Amino acid sequence: MPKWDMDYVIGLTLRYGVIISIALILIGVALFHVKGEALGCGEALIMSPTSPINTTVIPPAYALSRLPNLDPLSFIILGLMVLIATPVLRVALGIASFAMERDWLYVFITAVVFINLMLAIFVLPSIMHLHANAQLLKLLCPSS
Amino acid sequence: MVLLRTIICCIELLVFSIIAGLLGSLTGLGGGTVLVPLLTLFLGIPIAYAAGASLISTIATSSGAASAYIRDRITNVRIGMGLEIATTTGSIVGSLTANYVYTHGLAWIVYVVFGIVILTSIIPTAQRGKYEIPDPRKPDWTTRVFKLYGSYYDDALKMEVKYWGVRWWLGELIMFFAGFISGLLGIGSGALKVLGMDWAMNLPMKVSTTTSNFMIGVTAATGSALYWYFGYIQPMMAAVTAIGVLIGAMSGTKILVRITNKQVRWVFLAILAFLGMEMLLKGLYLDRIITITVATQYLLSIIFTAIVMTILYYRYGVLMAKNEKRTAARGGGNA
Repeated sequence: MPKWDMDYVIGLTLRYGVIISIALILIGVALFHVKGEALGCGEALIMSPTSPINTTVIPPAYALSRLPNLDPLSFIILGLMVLIATPVLRVALGIASFAMERDWLYVFITAVVFINLMLAIFVLPSIMHLHANAQLLKLLCPSS
Repeated sequence: MVLLRTIICCIELLVFSIIAGLLGSLTGLGGGTVLVPLLTLFLGIPIAYAAGASLISTIATSSGAASAYIRDRITNVRIGMGLEIATTTGSIVGSLTANYVYTHGLAWIVYVVFGIVILTSIIPTAQRGKYEIPDPRKPDWTTRVFKLYGSYYDDALKMEVKYWGVRWWLGELIMFFAGFISGLLGIGSGALKVLGMDWAMNLPMKVSTTTSNFMIGVTAATGSALYWYFGYIQPMMAAVTAIGVLIGAMSGTKILVRITNKQVRWVFLAILAFLGMEMLLKGLYLDRIITITVATQYLLSIIFTAIVMTILYYRYGVLMAKNEKRTAARGGGNA
């Protein structure tokens, strides 16, 4: 019988994070093969090795808003976001786990790791004015 | 017709990713280290996209494996988390450097550094014959303050192994460098992380490898978040490679248990030496430091690989096997 301690919860988080994200990505790839287009862009453009359709032309909010339309790239983007979020959640659970053990030095250390992650995900991109350019997507794929 | 072409393209990318995952797990260097050379050298994918796809697949394999390891309790979460401060900081600096390098048309640097990293990580991989427990060093002040003690049950030795880490600061220093390389090249840089824990902190190999694997996921998440904003992640490519590398890595771990002939790993190491030399030559060629045709590059890489592998095989394969036989014979005589 499994013990419901923190290690067990962390193990489950990691496992289900990967399973959910890979499932979303697989759905996206399958949908792409059925539809032959994504976010209004044609197959050839998306599959080219030097394709300009990268993360700078796809605003995440726009991609997610197309989920109900069963857009292939929406599923893939969501899957990739879940994948990146999995280790972040793991670190957050680590803070809670050390706090439960009342190990304040490691609560602090883990919090610094978490702050570094937040720096990379939110703070630095906004300082550097790195925003996805939706106009470029319209230009590349007029039917989006 | 278009559909057929897409499937062929996807399958090509998928097969290369599976090979990368397989080789990465069989050599212990991780999928990314093999994936980036394969994609750039043979599929003509820009190195920034290859690095982005590689970071994404690194998160998938690391998180997948870590969920299994955490139950065995070999991973030392305290040591891992403490060193993560350095790897995540290094990864941020590395990713920003990568952005500078790519926006200034200096991609050749990435190729050259990549080649050097592969070639230098072959030697410790060749040396690593068996898992053994290091001679204990005296605990220092960092051992006490950062609680670097731990223990795990070793299946091969059939006993509980107690250990402790030393020189936390040196570990941090190496981890910063490991994180920097991870952000710059888009790989997990597991070999460097193991070096930091095995050599600098004097931890048992089993603890180093599993803890390094645990750290790779968090480091790669930091790098790939920045890569996302820089536009180095091509979603469809990252999707296909993540699936492929995961399949390859999972089959690799299964195969690894069944391989009884340890000589096979020399073949894998030879492939890595070839890829490393190719990356180095391509980088130098891109910067026009050397101007030789692609055919000559291949020829040079093959010759180089043959020489290096012969030396390494003799040094660590033949001589070590001889030593082992001698000690075994002596042991048998005593018994």
